[in-house]
Amino acid sequence: MNTAGPQTDSSAASAGAKRHLRLIIRCTCLVAAVLCLLPVLPKGSLMRYVPAASAFVAISSLLATKTFQPITALGFITALLTLLRHRWFCRWICPVGLCMDGVSCLGRRLKRKPSQEIQFGRLLVALTLGGAVLGYPLFLYTDPLALFSGIFLAATQATVLLSWISALLFAVLLIAGVLWPNLWCGRVCPLGAFQDLISMLSRYVRSLFATKTKRPAETSPGYRIARRTALGMVVGAGCAAAARRIGSKRTPALRPPGAIEETTFVALCTRCGNCMRACPHSIIERDLGENGWAGILTPVLSFENDYCREDCTQCTEVCPSGAIIRVLPDEKPNIRIGLPRVDMDICLLSEDRECSACMRWCPYDAIRYIFSEATYSLTPVVNPDRCNGCGACQTACPTKPVKAIRIAASLRT
Amino acid sequence: MNDRITRRDYLRMLGISGLAIGTGSFDPSRALARGVGESGGFQSSVIARDKVQPNRANPVLIDGEVIQPQRKLQVFAETDVLVVGGGSAGIVAAIAAKRAGAKVTVVERYGHFGGLWTGGLVLVILGHIVKGPKQVCQGIGEEIMRRLDKMDGAIINRRTGSNPTVDAEAVKYLMVEMIEQENIDVFLHCWGVDAIMQDGAVKGAVFESKSGRQAILAKVVIDATGDGDIFAAAGAEFEHRSHNIGLVSRVGNLDKIDKSKAPPDAKPKHLGSATPVKGVNWVNLRGPMVDGLDVATLTRMEMNHRKFIWNNIRKTRSIPGYERLYLVETAPQLGVRITRVLDGLNTVRLDHLKNATKFPDVIGVGGASNAEHGEWQIPYGALVPEKIDNVLAAGRCISAELRMADLVRLIPNCFVTGHAAGVAAAVAVRDRCSPRDADVSKIQKILRQQEAYLG
Ligand SMILES: Cc1cc2nc3c(=O)[nH]c(=O)nc-3n(C[C@H](O)[C@H](O)[C@H](O)COP(=O)(O)OP(=O)(O)OC[C@H]3O[C@@H](n4cnc5c(N)ncnc54)[C@H](O)[C@@H]3O)c2cc1C
Repeated sequence: MNTAGPQTDSSAASAGAKRHLRLIIRCTCLVAAVLCLLPVLPKGSLMRYVPAASAFVAISSLLATKTFQPITALGFITALLTLLRHRWFCRWICPVGLCMDGVSCLGRRLKRKPSQEIQFGRLLVALTLGGAVLGYPLFLYTDPLALFSGIFLAATQATVLLSWISALLFAVLLIAGVLWPNLWCGRVCPLGAFQDLISMLSRYVRSLFATKTKRPAETSPGYRIARRTALGMVVGAGCAAAARRIGSKRTPALRPPGAIEETTFVALCTRCGNCMRACPHSIIERDLGENGWAGILTPVLSFENDYCREDCTQCTEVCPSGAIIRVLPDEKPNIRIGLPRVDMDICLLSEDRECSACMRWCPYDAIRYIFSEATYSLTPVVNPDRCNGCGACQTACPTKPVKAIRIAASLRT
Repeated sequence: MNDRITRRDYLRMLGISGLAIGTGSFDPSRALARGVGESGGFQSSVIARDKVQPNRANPVLIDGEVIQPQRKLQVFAETDVLVVGGGSAGIVAAIAAKRAGAKVTVVERYGHFGGLWTGGLVLVILGHIVKGPKQVCQGIGEEIMRRLDKMDGAIINRRTGSNPTVDAEAVKYLMVEMIEQENIDVFLHCWGVDAIMQDGAVKGAVFESKSGRQAILAKVVIDATGDGDIFAAAGAEFEHRSHNIGLVSRVGNLDKIDKSKAPPDAKPKHLGSATPVKGVNWVNLRGPMVDGLDVATLTRMEMNHRKFIWNNIRKTRSIPGYERLYLVETAPQLGVRITRVLDGLNTVRLDHLKNATKFPDVIGVGGASNAEHGEWQIPYGALVPEKIDNVLAAGRCISAELRMADLVRLIPNCFVTGHAAGVAAAVAVRDRCSPRDADVSKIQKILRQQEAYLG
């Protein structure tokens, strides 16, 4: 740096050029992410790559499900590259990072001081990873890419009030970014903190091997970080165990086909809204907490207006964390969402009415009307071996305002 | 004749004849002494004396088997279009064919028109409303509705989006009026039993009545029997299905029920829904899923259902407040929903409904009961048998897959297929071709002229 003038000029120029290049790339990434998430591209299959780029989500998914989900490959690549270059993702790619930098700039102009809070993000990461080992990644939903993806649910389901919640949260973050510049990226963002962790731990491990003679001091920062993370993970695992115990009493909920076991599902779900956006019939909605507070904002199915099509697997193709695993069209009939229950107090057949809607619309031919000599009327009977709970019967049922045939969720294991 | 009316005859005319007969002062020889056509001692007269049934060819027992010998049938009438079955589909078909210029004859096994709609007491008209709500059953079906509107106590709930309920007697009356206005030949109490065939084509039908076994020759036959009796006899391929067989009834004095007197847990069932007659409900019955072509089954259904209906009324009457409930009538015609379904050139399918498939040979549009889905087009091919010529199906026996049969058979959809079959038959007659080769664009043009809705 302390070389002659012309050279300084040229290096300053090259730094400036690099900054420009970086800005262009970041803006491109932001635009690309927005395009992927908006319902403008055909079939929206690209949306999966936005939250799936998160290394935090990818590693948590692996720990929680103990299986590798192909969709998480992108996140693993991000993680590997972080070994080479610290926080490269934040600097070059992250759309949330760009937004936050923007508002931080504004904040600094308004003379707001950069925040010096504790490293909240690392705590989130440690607790989440610890929980993930027990299948309960506690705070996975704080992932910035998932939050960013969630914003765009408002574009596809503008009329559903709840689909605006991610957008609202993001707005709050932006305002916070003005008031406390750099708070999010530097101190809270779990994806950033996770990258810090990867870099620091890798440096620490490398130092262990590099200096065989002189062991690193117990006070070295790498050692401290490793210890704290381990401690945090133990606490996280404890919390996860407690949460699982509470969660296990929960009644099953109507989740998209391919959703994993309920307790893990509510924690592993990033609330990114991809499945809701992917559903061509808009039958996936945000859970308002009807199925327990832990599942708030997770996807639930509603069959009031449409049903889960026999040949559609789109929601299972876009889940970044493996909370919903990939379902092949052939497997679809065997993936149970729930089973219909008939309320004979309101079923038209109990009034001898000329209705055959549920039987007609059942794609799996699972419903029969059985005549009873005792009541001298018909009752719909469902063959559970054929039915997968797709909800076609509920959609077709003509009773108002409550449908006489409704899908009750089944326990998933 | 006047001079022959005795005092006793006079008294009889006044309606006190029973007494006179009861006293044994009746002389049969006096009646016999009179000539043919005279009304003698009874409100009856001799048409032919010492008569032996002509044209007999009794089945004979040969080696324990009953053999029907060959016999020549009297041709009772010749016509362009013969409609067998005077139900909702048959009547509309007859009117449509007549208006399209054909000479039309209708043969009906019962003494009234309307089939299940009237004789079966199926009083509520379902299945003509699609999303919107919009009514898709137009044409002659809608004309019938409008005429019912103008009659006193004939129809209720005639708002777009709701399902109207009719009075069966009003419908029976109206159909007589319309048949007469159109100058259509009809024969009631005639049971169509066979198809007359030549080279794989239907040339008419044979029917049984009190007049014996007779033939009607026709250029095109429309099978509107609901059960496909004629196309089956002609050898057309069909699917034989079972369905719920019920017996509809009407109950009265519902306006004199005092529900407040009934215990709170009393939930009387099978009380039906309102009709144009105050205090009278029609009560549907789904019944078990059985074979409507099996006469032993039909018999069992009639008897079981009758017992159930009576006992249910008795039971309901024992609930405090329901004492005045009574059974007005059970339907003269058993509620057979589906039996034979034609294997047509085309078939009405649920996928067509789901995908809103459009057919180049569309001849009508079907609907739903509660506007729960969109329009579904009915192709002409669903009325035409795969192989046999000169016969068309109309009403609940047209070609439809299992899942769609329950929509196809609804009354307005029977109007729609009846309307199309009538026009198609007339076009085939006019163009001297088989209905299979009839010009579909002509059929569609006339249907539109007759205000049918084709989407
Ligand atoms: C119990 C019950 C409840 C129903 N409820 C409803 C409802 O709520 N709403 C609705 O829209 N629909 C309902 N339906 C369906 C609807 O009533 C019938 O499908 C429709 O009326 C059939 O009309 P169609 O003209 O095709 O046949 P049909 O009405 O059966 O007419 C056939 C006619 O042909 C005559 N016939 C039969 N065989 C012969 C023969 N061999 N020779 C001469 N004549 C013959 C019959 O006597 C009859 O008049 C119900 C049906 C049933 C049975």
